[in-house]
Amino acid sequence: MTETAFTVYLVDDDSGVLKALARLLQARGYAVRPFTSPQAFLADHDASVAGCAVLDVSMPDLDGLELQQELTTQGSQRPIIFLTGQGDIPTSVRAMRAGAIDFLTKPVSDADLLAAIANAEREDGEIRSANASLNSIKARLETLTPRELEVMKHVVTGQLNKQIAGDLGTVEKTVKVHRGRVMSKLGIRSVADLVRLAEKAGITGRGS
Amino acid sequence: LATYPRSPTDGLDNDQPQVLTGLWSLKGRIVFVTNGERFDHRKANRSGALFLVAVASFLLAGAPSFAQEQPLRALILHAYNYTFPATTLASEGARKRLLDRSPKRLEIEAEFLDLARLPGDANALRMATFLRDKYQGKRFDLVLSVGIAGVPFLIKYRELFAPNVPVVFMGGTREHLATLQLPPDITGVLAGVDPDKVLELAERLQPHARHLMVICGNGELGVPWQRWAHEAINRRRTKLEVTTRFDFEYDALLEEISHLPRDTIILFVTAYADKLGRSFIPADFATAVAGAASVPVYSPFVTHLGTGIVGGYTETYESLGEAAADMALEILSGSDPAKLPPRMNPGQTFRVDARAMDRWGLKRSALPPGTVILFDEPGIWKQHRLLISATAAIVTLQSVLLTALLFQRHRRRKAERSLTVSEDRMTFIATSMNVGLWQFNRATDELWATEHTRAMFGIANDAPLTRETFLTAVHHDDRRLAFSALRGALKGQPSTTDIRVVPADGQVRWIRVRARSLLDETGAPDQLTGVFFDITAQKAAESEAELHREEVAHLTRVSVLGELSGAIAHEVNQPLTSILSNAQAALYLLTKDSPNLAEVRDALHDIVSEDKRAGDVVHRLRGLLKKGEARSELVDVNEVVDSATALLRGELINRRVTVETDLAASRPTFFGDSVQLQQVLLNLVINAMDAMASTPETQRRVRIRTQETNAGTVEILVKDNGTGIKQTDRKQLFVPFYTTKDRGLGLGLTICSAIVRKHGGTINLRNDETGGAVVEISLPAHAMMMAAQ
Repeated sequence: MTETAFTVYLVDDDSGVLKALARLLQARGYAVRPFTSPQAFLADHDASVAGCAVLDVSMPDLDGLELQQELTTQGSQRPIIFLTGQGDIPTSVRAMRAGAIDFLTKPVSDADLLAAIANAEREDGEIRSANASLNSIKARLETLTPRELEVMKHVVTGQLNKQIAGDLGTVEKTVKVHRGRVMSKLGIRSVADLVRLAEKAGITGRGS
Repeated sequence: LATYPRSPTDGLDNDQPQVLTGLWSLKGRIVFVTNGERFDHRKANRSGALFLVAVASFLLAGAPSFAQEQPLRALILHAYNYTFPATTLASEGARKRLLDRSPKRLEIEAEFLDLARLPGDANALRMATFLRDKYQGKRFDLVLSVGIAGVPFLIKYRELFAPNVPVVFMGGTREHLATLQLPPDITGVLAGVDPDKVLELAERLQPHARHLMVICGNGELGVPWQRWAHEAINRRRTKLEVTTRFDFEYDALLEEISHLPRDTIILFVTAYADKLGRSFIPADFATAVAGAASVPVYSPFVTHLGTGIVGGYTETYESLGEAAADMALEILSGSDPAKLPPRMNPGQTFRVDARAMDRWGLKRSALPPGTVILFDEPGIWKQHRLLISATAAIVTLQSVLLTALLFQRHRRRKAERSLTVSEDRMTFIATSMNVGLWQFNRATDELWATEHTRAMFGIANDAPLTRETFLTAVHHDDRRLAFSALRGALKGQPSTTDIRVVPADGQVRWIRVRARSLLDETGAPDQLTGVFFDITAQKAAESEAELHREEVAHLTRVSVLGELSGAIAHEVNQPLTSILSNAQAALYLLTKDSPNLAEVRDALHDIVSEDKRAGDVVHRLRGLLKKGEARSELVDVNEVVDSATALLRGELINRRVTVETDLAASRPTFFGDSVQLQQVLLNLVINAMDAMASTPETQRRVRIRTQETNAGTVEILVKDNGTGIKQTDRKQLFVPFYTTKDRGLGLGLTICSAIVRKHGGTINLRNDETGGAVVEISLPAHAMMMAAQ
């Protein structure tokens, strides 16, 4: 469970607050990684670890929103919860638009914080599972030959075999064979499933 | 007075110069005791009567042994007594002449008939008998009768004491003589009372006179003279209009003659009595007449000279006596008295009183030749020219000296007056300015002070101004201060001390005492002098201004904190967040079956420390928000910097500004108010943040440095990387309500400057070479601040 345990990344320049929050969350069974500066957090961040980030908005050098930005830039999809002493509306709107789970005002009650973290955990799970299915599709797609991939792209656009053969300069029979192989390699039975998969994998029809 | 002669026919009995009576009396006595010997009466005058008596006794006793040959013997018989100056003068003149010119030794006896006092035949007989008995067995060669009044007595009684002895009388007039049947051996010299000549003198001196008034007294003695005067005037056939005043009343006469016409001559003959029977001494009467008259008065008698009358044609009694003596000497030399008829005294002359002449403005040139001028003052000059010159020189010298002294006195007076004026002026100015002046003498313990100090110290008007009175008025708490200041001044350091004074009315006044010492001749301070200023109003204004400054400072503090409220709230919120989380963690931990108590304890510890943290922030805030009196305490400058930056932490973060502190390891301190210094730092850091609004975030740095200098000051530097100070703003940055900010009040730096100056420090604002601005504050380390008040 150590590797997969949901981890809360705490970032607050105020060590007293950091320590208290860490204590609270640890008592609740969360794995907590506290950081007093955003830089330290970024340096130590592992996006693969399941978890969320609890960030103080006002911090020297790099504030919470900038840190959020930085994480996004790095491709992290980690859910973020903001804590702030001054809950001003413009800041909170900006944070939420950037994908924050919640924007909590200090002093924060454990219920609010835990609820936010629970949400974050759920979201993180969803993201992670979504990312996991996509990865398997991608892996299966990689088993296709270029010709098979090409045939697939035509299929998902709803073209008939005859049309595909005409486009590819081959005969209908060959197209039918490739189509069968694609279906089998990808482990799907219907064209509808194929279309859904192609969608997930971001494969659009016929290169247009 | 009753002894005056009764008859005017005796030329000797008229008048007596009263002032000389005593002297003449003495001379008369000398004559009386001389007893025929030559005797220097002047010497006797000086030696006194007792001596004379002794000498006379000796001479009398020894007289017979000198009688080698038969001396001549003469008897001087006074008709009256020795108190009559006229007869005394005449007899003295005669006696001297006899003694001088007698061919043989001459013995002179003298007797007084006293006929005026003792008239009547019985007395005459008694006197004659007395003389007979007294001179029994003695023979006289000559009898000299002083006064013609003695002649009838001699005619009648001569046989008793001087039978067949020739008689020479002196005095009397022709008229008088005509009444007597003289035997052939009685002859004499007549007095020359000649009114004719008197009138001649008067007419010469008053040529324009038209009236003549003749005054002659009434009574037994006066009437013969009236007749005599009448006849004389008739004889003269004068052109003057003659009036007579014979039967007058004394006061009325004096009244009348006081306003006679100027062209009147008064001839005063004599007066013994007036109409009312009042008796007078003729000389006194003459004095009264001469004094009252509005015109010159003349008289035929020499004794009236000196009473104020102008003069007359008179003889001296001495000359009468001398003339008689000459006749006697002729007889003693063998001449037959029968061949020597009575004759006039040849010694008559005009005599005038120079003073009376001057009084009436009568010309000396009009006087007949040979006139004797008496009482002529200028004679003194001729006689004593040297003495007078010397005296005058001395007087002049003294006058010069006196003038010099007077001048000096005047100058001194003037100096004194100007000193008084100057002192008055000084006192007035001092009083007007509500200033008291004082001086204290240490040696005598005496205090001098201007009256105005009473009002300043509330000292009653009747209370003495002493050191004790003043000290009693001084506020109890300030007495020690006053004493030590004055002691310092006595050591030579001028001192200025502010003390409180509690007058009787209880209204506390502030008095500034300035004192300095005055050195005595040895250079040691023995006196203190100084000034009292009433600075109550100044103190009140100062404290009011201070109050205003405090209020403004407070308001700006509140306003700054208002601006910082968000950031400061954050500072409180942090520990509160920490506390809540710790508490909830602990609570949750305790819900477990086997709670991790160590963790709970840690949480509680953290709660305590975080609570303290929050408390500190609140405490700081309260200090800044509190409106109270300034404190004076030892302030750790580094602590103040920390505290200020802590309060600003949230704001600094919000504004992306970092603070770098470089605090002196020596932990510099100063005396003052930490809240006020904190306010200064808050202001400066906020200014720095404002100045860096357009500075790139990464360069927004405020550097705060504290350091102690060798000069004994603490320096605080606040530097930013902002836009710096524009040249145009530089001069006005400390001016109230001048601001470069959009929403500033313009009081920040004004307050900072006021606070720093109040702590005895300086504040300086300049651009830094590396960019941005630097504020330098310099405070005296450890020094006792004015803030202590």
